[in-house]
Amino acid sequence: MLAPISSSRWGFSAAAHLLNRAGFGGTPAEIDSLARLSASEAVDRILTPPPKEDPDPLPPPDWARPDPDRPQKLKEFREATPEVRRELTKARQKLERAQILELQSWWIRRMTQGNPAHAHREKLTLFWHGHFATSFQKVRDAYLMWRQNDLFRRLGGGDWTTLLGEVTRDPAMLIWLDQAQSKPEHPNENFARELMELFTLGEGNYSESDVLAAARALTGLTLDRLKQEPVYRARLHDNSPTTLFGDTGRHGVDDVLRLIVARPQASMFITARLWKFFAGTEPSPELASELAAEFERCGRAFTPFLRTLFLSEAFHAPDVVRHQIKSPVQLLVMACRQLERELPPAPATFTVLRMLGQELFNPPNVKGWEGGVAWINTNTLLTRHNLALFLTTGENPLPVLARNGNAKAAAKTQPQARAARMQRRTSTTPVNPQRLFAESEFQSADTLLNAAERRLLNSPFNPRDRAALKSHLKSDDLRDTASLLELLRLALCTAEYQLA
Amino acid sequence: MNSQQSRRRFLQTTTAGGVLSATLPSFLAATLQQLQADTEGRAVQATAGHDAPILVVLQLAGGNDGLNTVVPFANDHYRKARPKLGLDSDKVLKLSDELGLHPALTGFKSLYDAGQLAVLQGVGYPNPNRSHFRSTDIWMTASDSDRFSNRGWIGRYFDHACAGADPTVGIAIGRQSPLAFSAQHPTGIALENPDAYHAAADELEESDSMAMMSSGKGKPGRKPGVSEGPAGIGNPSGTGGSVEQLSGGRVESGNVLDFLERTAHDARSSSEQIRSVSARVKNLAEYPAGKLANDLKLVSRLIAGGLNTRVYYVSQGGFDTHQGQAGTHPRLLTELGESMKAFLADLKALGQLDRVVVLTFSEFGRRVSENASGGTDHGAAAPLFLCGGRVKPGVVGRHPSLAPGDLINGDIAFHTDFRSVYATLLERWLKTESAPILGRSFPPMEFI
Repeated sequence: MLAPISSSRWGFSAAAHLLNRAGFGGTPAEIDSLARLSASEAVDRILTPPPKEDPDPLPPPDWARPDPDRPQKLKEFREATPEVRRELTKARQKLERAQILELQSWWIRRMTQGNPAHAHREKLTLFWHGHFATSFQKVRDAYLMWRQNDLFRRLGGGDWTTLLGEVTRDPAMLIWLDQAQSKPEHPNENFARELMELFTLGEGNYSESDVLAAARALTGLTLDRLKQEPVYRARLHDNSPTTLFGDTGRHGVDDVLRLIVARPQASMFITARLWKFFAGTEPSPELASELAAEFERCGRAFTPFLRTLFLSEAFHAPDVVRHQIKSPVQLLVMACRQLERELPPAPATFTVLRMLGQELFNPPNVKGWEGGVAWINTNTLLTRHNLALFLTTGENPLPVLARNGNAKAAAKTQPQARAARMQRRTSTTPVNPQRLFAESEFQSADTLLNAAERRLLNSPFNPRDRAALKSHLKSDDLRDTASLLELLRLALCTAEYQLA
Repeated sequence: MNSQQSRRRFLQTTTAGGVLSATLPSFLAATLQQLQADTEGRAVQATAGHDAPILVVLQLAGGNDGLNTVVPFANDHYRKARPKLGLDSDKVLKLSDELGLHPALTGFKSLYDAGQLAVLQGVGYPNPNRSHFRSTDIWMTASDSDRFSNRGWIGRYFDHACAGADPTVGIAIGRQSPLAFSAQHPTGIALENPDAYHAAADELEESDSMAMMSSGKGKPGRKPGVSEGPAGIGNPSGTGGSVEQLSGGRVESGNVLDFLERTAHDARSSSEQIRSVSARVKNLAEYPAGKLANDLKLVSRLIAGGLNTRVYYVSQGGFDTHQGQAGTHPRLLTELGESMKAFLADLKALGQLDRVVVLTFSEFGRRVSENASGGTDHGAAAPLFLCGGRVKPGVVGRHPSLAPGDLINGDIAFHTDFRSVYATLLERWLKTESAPILGRSFPPMEFI
């Protein structure tokens, strides 16, 4: 099942599948350039870490570093009167909201720009964000959220134990699952439990006494809130012997992680999660064993494991290809890449993502996004249809697409300048549809539809949709902008477009 | 709106949808055609009627600390286990000499005094699971803790008792459809904001076709649901595979494209209904600020608007109080109590109180002993609440023992299986057999 696909099966469709799943899709030209390589070369191109750009075309926000004035600010806050404190808190909350929007915007732009290797690195970062799902709602510090995101980007392709060790000590995680608060006299079980249940082993593969033993062994690891760094405080550590998975000793943080990663279920668990994310299905028991064995063979390192996965017959199987419901982020980023358009303004972008159920840095809970068919319900599907209108024509279909109300309402009640500003924030540039098609593709309605399906689905429309879409083209003027935009909008509304 | 009217209204939207389909992507047209057979059934659905009983399920997500919600304030074990978080007897809102509500639950206390609140103590299930996700699934599917199911208990009620009903038979307020709703079909709809619950680009065609229908210029004599869309419509097959293979796995049968198309159809056919009802009906009570209150406000309007909805689903999050519980928990309970009080007052003013029962649940209670971070860890059995005009008010069942010897791994043991609560609601409130829905019989209780 994990044997590489034969060269005869490599081509446009397989390259498109690889680009869609390992990254966020691309234009027909980008797919073609991958398809001209061999499968193995194409996968290498995607997995080779991008050379250290100098300078990074999208450097992190300038506040994404420890704040040298933090101790002073905390001191001022402590010494302030209650009224001043309230003001300071309000100002801080306002700043936090602005920063998190900037951070979301920065990340999604990274996903939308760049070559397939850049895109893959961001996709893998998105996997880890969903896996170690941490929310800004509780962490309330954009710098720490950025720092965790950067950790996933730097170490996400590396060694499992190293990554796990860094995540365990990550300040945002220490806050998110209360490890920062754990004390030896009655240790906090939150991190210990989710570490086993959601991050490494899966429910049912540990006992309640393992949770308690790990919670005790992890005591001492906490957060230096002044320096915003993890710190080990021996006086907070419960140094009495614990028994974890039958191993009795005076365990510390690294012992806990070592014992967990060595469990037979550990490699099964994390590889099944990766498979589910990239292939979109639950692996069969046989495949799950093969995946785990391959991960072990790769020394529990992710990049070599993903190389095998992306090349495998199983990954290119007919029941995998075009069978994954796109996540909201995938839908939006992929559409922008395919339509060769920029992202809509940040407020509208993140309102849409929130309505579709995937707000970056704010997963619903520590389990992350459930994904698959859970992305789809009446509410989110209507929003997907409205997003199709928004992305193609640039018209904001709904007042709620912008956090700050809609432009029309604003025009009624607000001075002109404000209304115009609102309009800019809530509407977006339309697609230039003529630019998406080559001269030869305007030959007939059929050549135009062929080009559209190649670009948007990377596979044929089903006959019903094709007939319906054809009825929207002006046979005497195939270049008519309105009908081309309508074609694109309707194609984005089809059931098939929700899949990749 | 009586059932006759609502039936006509439904047919109207369906037929309008049929006209609409000429300008829509054909997947909608095809779905309409496929659903033609259903339409006959829908028109005579038995669940219609503006006086039929309604269940509102309110999930307290994260694991509510039941012990500090319904407080055995006089109990020595309680005082010992909760040196910091324990609530004083002069602060709690007393229900008896031994039991009181959390001081923040003044909203619930006034409902209790008005005879609109029942407290069910010691609710849980055998072999409790302390994972949020697994335990939530157990509550939502009503399965034994060692069995897995991808159908919700409410979804099975839809399948069993509401076959052929409108998609609005169940409405979940929020972005997600809960596992509890998962069914063969109908599965209910998810609704976050009624103003956003429509597809904007089709508005023009939609209102045109609606106008044609009401002026009688539509397509007289045409069978409802028969599409005049492009020819050559067949069964959708395409790339779809089995949905069980997909992550999530919530759809029992059919392929993923069928699922997408059916959901699109449900969305379009419910959208106009929802928007007009929500805009037409006005709330008659003052609600506090907050998401829960807003959600309940919407539920109240939808109920008074006469939808055929049998079950509404609402949730309040944030109950996972591992640390800093003394700050968080009172805030959550205030929001819960005040929102619920406003909701019931609103329903009363709208003349709907006697047809609504609210059930609260949480995936588990919390550990009896507090932890050292000013919080509590995951536990087991806990109390739950029922509110409404027709519940038998009072406290049902004894408070479970807190004696260390009676605890299971430091957690409260249950004496009432949550499925007895479901069974009672199904039998005595929704008037349907419970055993086919819950898999077996559970002893009914006295709260309705």
